Amino acid sequence: MGANLFVNYGEAVAAVLFGIGFGNLLLQKNLIKKIIGLNIMDSAVYLFLAEKGYIIGRTAPIVTGGVQSVEAYINPIPSGLVLTGIVVSVSVSALMLSLTIRLYRRYHTLDLDQISLMIKKEEET
Amino acid sequence: MDFICNFPFFSILISLFSGTICSVLPGKAAKWVNTFVIVLIGAMSAALLWYLLGTGESFVYMMGHFPAPWGNEIRAGVLEAATALFFCIVMLLSMWGGRKKLMEEVEPSKHNLYYILVNLLLSSLLALIYTNDLFTAYVFVEINTIAACGLIMIRQIGRTLEAAVRYMIMSLVGSGMLLIGICMMYDLTGHLLMSNIQESVTAIIEEGTYVIPLVMAIALMVIGLAIKSALFPFHAWLPDAYGYSTISSAAILSSLVSKGYIFLLIKIIYRVVGFRIFHDTHIINVLFVFGLMAMIFGSLSAIKENDIRRMIAFSSVAQIGYIYVGIGLGTQVGMLASVYHIFAHAAGKALLFIAAIGLTDVSGFSRKFIDLTGAGYRNKIAGIGFTVGSLSMVGVPVFAGFVSKLLFAQAAVNNVGKMLPTLIALGISTILNAIYFMKTVIRIYTPRPDAPYESVAIGKEKLYAVSIVLFIALNIMLGMSSQPVVDAIHAGLEMFG
Amino acid sequence: MHESMILMLPILVPVMTGLLLLCMPAVKNRKVLIGITAAGLIVTAALVFFVLFQEADSFTFFYLTKSLPVYFKIDGIGRIFVTVVTIVWLSGGAFAFEYMKHETDEKRYFGFYLIVYGILVALDFSGNIITFYLFYEMMTLLSMPLVLHTRSREAVMAGLKYMLYSFCGAYMVLYGVYFLFRFSNTLTFTAGGVLNQELIAGREQFLLFVVFLMILGFGVKAGMFPMHGWLPTAHPVAPAPASAVLSGIIVKSGVLGVIRTVYYLFGADFIRGTWVQTTWIWLTLFTVFMGSMLAYREKLLKKRLAYSTVSQVSYILFGLSMLDQTAMTGSLLHVICHAFIKCTLFLCAGAIIYKTGKTRVDELAGIGKEMPALLWCYTIVSLALIGIPPTGGFVSKWYLATGALRTKLPIVSWFGPLVLLVSALLTAGYLLPVTIQGFFPGKAFDYTHLKKKEPNLTMLLPVIVLTVLAVLVGMFPSVVTDYIVNHISGLF
Repeated sequence: MGANLFVNYGEAVAAVLFGIGFGNLLLQKNLIKKIIGLNIMDSAVYLFLAEKGYIIGRTAPIVTGGVQSVEAYINPIPSGLVLTGIVVSVSVSALMLSLTIRLYRRYHTLDLDQISLMIKKEEET
Repeated sequence: MDFICNFPFFSILISLFSGTICSVLPGKAAKWVNTFVIVLIGAMSAALLWYLLGTGESFVYMMGHFPAPWGNEIRAGVLEAATALFFCIVMLLSMWGGRKKLMEEVEPSKHNLYYILVNLLLSSLLALIYTNDLFTAYVFVEINTIAACGLIMIRQIGRTLEAAVRYMIMSLVGSGMLLIGICMMYDLTGHLLMSNIQESVTAIIEEGTYVIPLVMAIALMVIGLAIKSALFPFHAWLPDAYGYSTISSAAILSSLVSKGYIFLLIKIIYRVVGFRIFHDTHIINVLFVFGLMAMIFGSLSAIKENDIRRMIAFSSVAQIGYIYVGIGLGTQVGMLASVYHIFAHAAGKALLFIAAIGLTDVSGFSRKFIDLTGAGYRNKIAGIGFTVGSLSMVGVPVFAGFVSKLLFAQAAVNNVGKMLPTLIALGISTILNAIYFMKTVIRIYTPRPDAPYESVAIGKEKLYAVSIVLFIALNIMLGMSSQPVVDAIHAGLEMFG
Repeated sequence: MHESMILMLPILVPVMTGLLLLCMPAVKNRKVLIGITAAGLIVTAALVFFVLFQEADSFTFFYLTKSLPVYFKIDGIGRIFVTVVTIVWLSGGAFAFEYMKHETDEKRYFGFYLIVYGILVALDFSGNIITFYLFYEMMTLLSMPLVLHTRSREAVMAGLKYMLYSFCGAYMVLYGVYFLFRFSNTLTFTAGGVLNQELIAGREQFLLFVVFLMILGFGVKAGMFPMHGWLPTAHPVAPAPASAVLSGIIVKSGVLGVIRTVYYLFGADFIRGTWVQTTWIWLTLFTVFMGSMLAYREKLLKKRLAYSTVSQVSYILFGLSMLDQTAMTGSLLHVICHAFIKCTLFLCAGAIIYKTGKTRVDELAGIGKEMPALLWCYTIVSLALIGIPPTGGFVSKWYLATGALRTKLPIVSWFGPLVLLVSALLTAGYLLPVTIQGFFPGKAFDYTHLKKKEPNLTMLLPVIVLTVLAVLVGMFPSVVTDYIVNHISGLF
């Protein structure tokens, strides 16, 4: 078990990072920290994917210098997935940030619980 | 391959493109484009459904030029086509019913944005329904989330912004889990296409190696989707999101968005994991237990609520619990009941939301029960609509809800171990449903002597009236002649394999 | 169009007329309203009797799902019930034409009154348990507007209570149906039961539980302990003609449900001698006694009558629980008698409220001097309910008691009739004081302010007709009992 963990250290790091990101996204009060948590979580997934696609001693699947052999390159699909995933996570982060800006302009705080309280007060008056 | 086999691809693409086009159109033109696109896609889905019922087997549609293990695929069967058709109908009616409200609540400059979001949402739902590729499913899950978040926050008041943030956070937690689950699945099987994964999964189970990681991957995917579809106890974002967004959004979110995820989940269960293998993991029991809890606690929260729209939203929590209980029963009949309930609940809940807005509008825009007294007389069509929706939710014969209850009970009776808890929860939840819905119905039909609010004539809001009437018809149709629908679902599930 | 479509007419006509009334814009002229209602009632009644003598006696309306048709079939029990419903419904309607003058929203009242009539006809004609359940639920929902007609806070709460109890009951029944669906060949009512003997082998105890659940479920509507609580709340708040039909007819639909369940789905033999039968008997006996006791202590006249219903309907259930032909004959006879009697009693109470506004029993001193004809009717039907010959109540109770004695069950075969007897004494105790006070208010009573307040003919006639019927059933019981015995002999 422990040996496996050491051999697959990339995956192990990815799992730890995922946990950190996940915890931050859920537990942080500050919205910006939540978004950072989200990004850590997503990055962990990309690390995991990249680690899975990597084969020792080979290069990125970009045809250079006329080398056509499949043996020379790593598995390209995970790389493709990572790229797609990055696009998705960028757009989601952008949306979250824009929402955060909206809320901050209105309530001048980044704490979600405080915002809730302020909204309740706002409605009562 | 017949030309009609292009329809799933066309419908996804048309809605995606029309969303792009809407961004440069003025609000009014965007509205027409949106209506036209939904009708067109509905018609295409209907044609596809008819075609598939004729041929009796599903087909796989290759996207691009790469064949099976590498390329991307679309798969269409009876269930997919039927769901697409149904989603189009509900979406169109929800848009009609909430149109006037949308004009009032959203700034005029942002009207076309709303239609962009709706088109995007439709395309992502269709993609979730049709895709045969797990990673594509993940991408469209995210698009769906973004579009849904936009639908919530387009009405810019504090509550919706907060609800949108909460919704986003919960959704991202869910999609993060879904993503890591998919990656692990890919890691284990080396495939992303559902049919290929299933073969590998079967092989893994037979060999007995890597079973724990496999179960882990399945669990992550299932729980991710469960979080996204607001299964108890992950429903904290739901009441505000459904309760304060503009009414079309609320109707669409409750009846379609969460159902899209559940549909994907069912697809994963059948097409990725395989029904038998999924049944043998213990995840199914987890879903079952949370479903039962949702049924009861959702209804309890709804009873305590003093705000009609939040009450309806909490009722959604309970209804989603029903669906998960059906899945958790782990039988074909239970799954059938769940799918039927997806339809029945979509028809009923959208109707309730649309009718509720008519009632609150004639009560000084207040959503408190005390102000709603007699609202059924002030807006007659909304009153009738709300009554029908309530009866359907309570499960009175003739309406859609009754048939799904019947199916659930049938499924429960066939599963000896889970029979008693299901039936008891079903009973409690039904009684609780009856309490809060009937309480509301009586309230809106209790006359008010002082008459502080104006009433609205039916002729004045024609589109609204039409949408409610059609919703009522949909509910009664599902309740009275359920057999064709049940048959279609059955055939569709058979095609899933 | 199929010939047997004609079965649908007595169901559709009143429902359509009722819907017409509900959707109609408000009319100034009351006569139009009354005219439509009267026409609807009379045409339906004519259709009902026409249909009863038709060749075709079954009709499938549509299929809910492939194995669950909505199916109508007329049989002996259905004929008895539908006849009673029609008579009482016409009388209640005629009475309401005058009475409803002092209530508001007449249009809504008559609309729902007609619709419920149609639903009840459908209920009596139902040929399988799904159809029965469908109309049973509809009846609950559609009769609710009658209960909460005044829509005072009290009435609304009573309506809610009525609905909740009914739903609880209905769902208990529905659960039964779920299991029945699994363990039976068909859900169509068949004399002697539909259980699939192979499937149930080894699961008898479980199915006994199911049948008990269903009896309790239908027992809710019939006001059987422990779920009788809604009845004394809901019946008195409704307008008097509505209470009359609620107490006279709607509770009987619960009885019909029990008959269908026990005799037509599970079969009498299945529960004979089991714990279900014993528990059921004791529950009914307890309800009989408790209802009478509570009625005896109640001061409001309408509420007293409602408690009396609790007690009397359990007489019927007691007869059914004996699983004996004679006892069941008594039960069915009591269904008829009690419908006529309780309807008359409530109508009398209504007429008194309408004319004098008095609701408490102790206010009614001297009432007999003011409205002698009405109080005579009241007295006669009271005697009938107590069971004094030659009225209907006597015959039905006679059959009930002899039936019980015939069964030779331990204890209950003699204890049951004893309870019935005690309850009859209590019945006398709670009904007759009105008569005594009414006719003989005592020396101290001040006669000077009394005026003639006899209600007019529209109100009085239904009361008299029902009274006469209640007596006639007692004088010529063989007509009815022969018919009943003919039709139920196949059940044992």
